[in-house]
Amino acid sequence: MQPKRILVAVAGTSVDPDVIRHAVTLAKPGKAEVIAVHVIEVRWNMPLDAVLEPELDHGEELLANAAKVAEQAGLRIETELLQAREAAAAIIDTARERAADLVIIGMPYRTRLGRVHVGRTVQNVYVGAPCAVLAYRQEAPQ
Amino acid sequence: MTPPEDKDPEPPSLEKRQWQAGRKPGDRSVRIVRPGGDQFRRDAGHYVATDAVFTEKGPLGKAWSKVTRLLVGRRLTTESEGEERVSVATGLPILASDNISSSAYATEEAMRVLAIAGVAALSLTMPIAIAVVAVLAIVVLSESRVIRAYPNGGGSYLVARENHGTIAGLVAAAALLIDYVLTVAVSTAAGVAAIASFVPEVHDVRVPLALALIALLTLGNLRGVREAGLLFAAPTYAYMAAMFGLIGFGIFRIATGDIPAPAHSESPFPDAGAQALTTLLILRAFASGSVGLTGSEAVANGVPSFRKPEPRNAIITLVLMGTIFSTIFLGLTFLATTIGVRPDQHEAETVNSLLTRSIVGDGSPFYYFVQIATAIILLLAANTGFTGFPRLASVLSNDRFMPRHFADMGSRLAFNTGIVALAAVAGLVLTAFGGSVTALVPLYTIGVFLAFTLSQSGLVRRWWRLRDRGWQLSMVLNSVGAIVTGVVLVVVAYTKFEHGAWMVIVVLPFIVGILYATHVHYRDVHDALVLEDLSVPIPEMRPPVVIVPVARIDRAALQAVAFARSISKSVKAVHISTTDESAKEFERRWARWSPDVKVDVILSPYRSLVVPLLKYIDAIDKSDDRPITVVIAEFVPRHWWEWLLHSQTATRLKAALLFRPNTIVIDVPYHFEDTADLARRR
Repeated sequence: MQPKRILVAVAGTSVDPDVIRHAVTLAKPGKAEVIAVHVIEVRWNMPLDAVLEPELDHGEELLANAAKVAEQAGLRIETELLQAREAAAAIIDTARERAADLVIIGMPYRTRLGRVHVGRTVQNVYVGAPCAVLAYRQEAPQ
Repeated sequence: MTPPEDKDPEPPSLEKRQWQAGRKPGDRSVRIVRPGGDQFRRDAGHYVATDAVFTEKGPLGKAWSKVTRLLVGRRLTTESEGEERVSVATGLPILASDNISSSAYATEEAMRVLAIAGVAALSLTMPIAIAVVAVLAIVVLSESRVIRAYPNGGGSYLVARENHGTIAGLVAAAALLIDYVLTVAVSTAAGVAAIASFVPEVHDVRVPLALALIALLTLGNLRGVREAGLLFAAPTYAYMAAMFGLIGFGIFRIATGDIPAPAHSESPFPDAGAQALTTLLILRAFASGSVGLTGSEAVANGVPSFRKPEPRNAIITLVLMGTIFSTIFLGLTFLATTIGVRPDQHEAETVNSLLTRSIVGDGSPFYYFVQIATAIILLLAANTGFTGFPRLASVLSNDRFMPRHFADMGSRLAFNTGIVALAAVAGLVLTAFGGSVTALVPLYTIGVFLAFTLSQSGLVRRWWRLRDRGWQLSMVLNSVGAIVTGVVLVVVAYTKFEHGAWMVIVVLPFIVGILYATHVHYRDVHDALVLEDLSVPIPEMRPPVVIVPVARIDRAALQAVAFARSISKSVKAVHISTTDESAKEFERRWARWSPDVKVDVILSPYRSLVVPLLKYIDAIDKSDDRPITVVIAEFVPRHWWEWLLHSQTATRLKAALLFRPNTIVIDVPYHFEDTADLARRR
């Protein structure tokens, strides 16, 4: 399957640049569109549209870096910044709304009790996304 | 009818928040949208304009941006200023090339003066060279003290201003500005003269060629300091290699008893002198030889251009510069006097060229290497002017002595206004003096020695005032420096006065006056504008009386009247007619249109539109004490050349109203839309 629109979730972990480069590699042959999305999770005790200055700054920086990595890899990408109660739901909704045919989500290599830990967001996107999902797990450290 | 008003409208923002419904009520999200796309990004609570704001859309704009990128390079952010700094290896060609290159013509300049008293007098060239090198040693030692005391640069201007007062500082600054202009003019003229030595055809086109070279240097410098340094490093080192090779080979030949026969130019100075060898002539020769000391102040002025630790790197560069210059200057002088080379009366061939021909022979590849390297270093010496002038001008501009544009950094972090201004003035001077080095040299060196003397004596006062550790040694060094440079200044000014130095002496106070007057203006403006007490509330303004000049009832007028009504209830339209019929026709159409705005129709039998309109505004102003606002409808065509087809009454009216006190002028542009666009909008 040659994807036409790829949604990449950028979480601000060390795996982000690899995920972006991978998305570009997949996008190039079919001239697919790549959208990098970062979701700011807003706590329940705050309004959803609250202006969270540090989080906004951080989110913009992550997306700007993602765009830079993609441009270095040879592709101009679109970026999107969202605020939601839960990142997974916002990623799934955006994938549906933008008619993405592939969602790529990065998993930094983390272990808990000797086993690789899969985070809540990855699990929920994996389960709930309407399209294909590619979970990119970071290489285990040597 | 009153204009519609929004209830508590949101203030405009670069960030829009769009609510999005999710599949479940709890899955709602907010999308943060930037209407400006990637042109602005957030950073630490404020917005930062990215390089996307410079993206051109039209074909002309795109082409222009490609051309400037090719010529000047891509834009640099202010943060990358640190990367633009130079090391000792790149700083030497940028800041010391002027001084080092002076070694190419300092010997000749001293010889040309001595030769007037006959060839026998040329034997005094070596003692004069030793005296010049001794002065340089003192200057280097005292300049190193300037660098330590003022690590933020500014050089002589700052030292003189802080220790002798503003006027002395301005004298030093003016002297240096003149000197930097002359550095560019003399260096390019000397570079072209060096080329003319082995390509005689160039002699006739030396002015246009020199101007083209100045343009090339300007372009190089607009690319930024670091790139200019990298561009100019190789030729500087090539010159040093050529000179050390020539001197080494020449001394080897002399030491082995194989003294070369002197090469002769077409018209060498005759054996018998035209005048007697007087003390004045010797002093004049010394003054001409001291041209080799120019450029030694550039390092102290340009300390901030160096990488950290700036003062240490600057001092190393300064010492290296002095050593390299002295070695080449003394070496060339020794060879020229030992071999017996005579300068050419008409500057057709340089002493440097004659000397090289004598040592390595005509047509030798090494001869061409020396000549080409010399020509290039002389041209690059002009670069010291390009480094010094814009930086000093920016310091003066920050102190409000020069227009503010001189402190603005261009897209490559270079002071573009200073670079372009320097190129323009140097080009004018060069053209006025017909590209002759000998005609330009008397103007040179006065400025630099005046600045030296002021900064050295300024430091003496500083050490006396502060008396910190080791002040006695510093004071002795700077006192000797001040006396020596002061004596050289008097000698240079006295001996070169009638040969052109008077021009500098006349121009200098004039420039000081301009700098001071500029400062007075900025001070007055500052006093008039500054808001020191920030607790002052924003004053309440009454809605103004709005006057809308209407040439004819059209879409542009419609938009202007609509806007006028949105800012005030007191709106008056005015129409100027040149004939009775057109006035009546306008009144008829206005009545048919019937907006709730009254119109005054004025008949102008002398056919002038702007003057009656201005007088009408004056009369309204007298009859009403509310502020006057003139809303002008302006039609904007799609292409710039279409402007020529329109009368530009709006532009003329805006220009006339600009200086009218208490008048607000609002331009309501109406951009051209063809009928297809209008149909689409409907």
